[in-house]
Amino acid sequence: MAKRIRLEKRVVAESDRLAAELTRRFARAGLFVANLMSSPGSGKTSLLERTAARLGGELRMAVIEGDLATDRDARRIRKAGLPCRQINTGGGCHLSAPQILEALEAFDLAALDVLFIENVGNLVCPAEFNLGEHRRVVLASTPEGDDKPAKYPVAFYKADCIVLNKTDLVAATDFSTEAFRRFARGVNPRAPILELSCRTGEGLEAWLDWVRAERRACALGRGGQECLPREVRAARRAVARPARRRGR
Amino acid sequence: MSRRTGDRLAALHLVVGRWSGADPESLEFALGLLVADSRWPDARIHIRAEPLALRCRACGREFEPEDLDLACSGCGSSDVEVTQGRDTRLESLEVEPDHGEADPS
Repeated sequence: MAKRIRLEKRVVAESDRLAAELTRRFARAGLFVANLMSSPGSGKTSLLERTAARLGGELRMAVIEGDLATDRDARRIRKAGLPCRQINTGGGCHLSAPQILEALEAFDLAALDVLFIENVGNLVCPAEFNLGEHRRVVLASTPEGDDKPAKYPVAFYKADCIVLNKTDLVAATDFSTEAFRRFARGVNPRAPILELSCRTGEGLEAWLDWVRAERRACALGRGGQECLPREVRAARRAVARPARRRGR
Repeated sequence: MSRRTGDRLAALHLVVGRWSGADPESLEFALGLLVADSRWPDARIHIRAEPLALRCRACGREFEPEDLDLACSGCGSSDVEVTQGRDTRLESLEVEPDHGEADPS
């Protein structure tokens, strides 16, 4: 007679536990953390270079870079004046909480205000793995096409901020900003959609204001779980709750 | 279920949410290889696909979207939250006492 042992254990439970630990560490250090996600080539590194140049005198920032190979992005970020730790994932298609825990060793967290995590360029897997961040930023760029939010709904659904980059190229493509907004709103009615061009600098001010405001919002609280997006908090509570039924 | 008690793993029951990022067929294929090479090569793998379920924050309706179109089937709002289908879970294990049968290992 077979007996059934009920577990109801999420396969990513350990990853979620480490993510919650990361959030506590960020909170203790008073650090605001944003996780940047997009396809390869949307402009995550360019946005961080611009941010370094514009906010460098105002906020103490650092970057964790995720790529399959090379330290090319880390070198760009350091050249822009920010401390940076490169993670090479080999074949890994996303950054994971254990990698972030290890990368933190490179920084004195108490001496920082903002940490940007630039995830591996990929609109699928990074959306599944929480890294303890306070906010998720999803970028898209005009040459990618205006229907990205409809085709990759999970990433855009979970975004706290949607950045549309390369607006200077709209005239050279068939991209429709209106269609992009409609597709984005179809999966995410809340996140601000910030149109900008890292190349020309147009629209950057709204992004910088978003960073300032969100950082302030997270620093005003205790920077812990309470300033996380509602769904992340709900998921954390579900993980923390012990299994109600244990089969015998 | 240990070497000491001699219990055997008879089945693994997994739930794969439509929005979990895991593909049931790939998971079954990979787990099949692992199980075949384990102490319990006859263990069965059951994977139940869990549909995506949403709740509309505007009108409160709970629904399962046809496609990955998230708009509320009632009021059309896209202000929805996922209530089911985001996880891959190990739901349960079935174990059988091994009454003196040969240990498969």
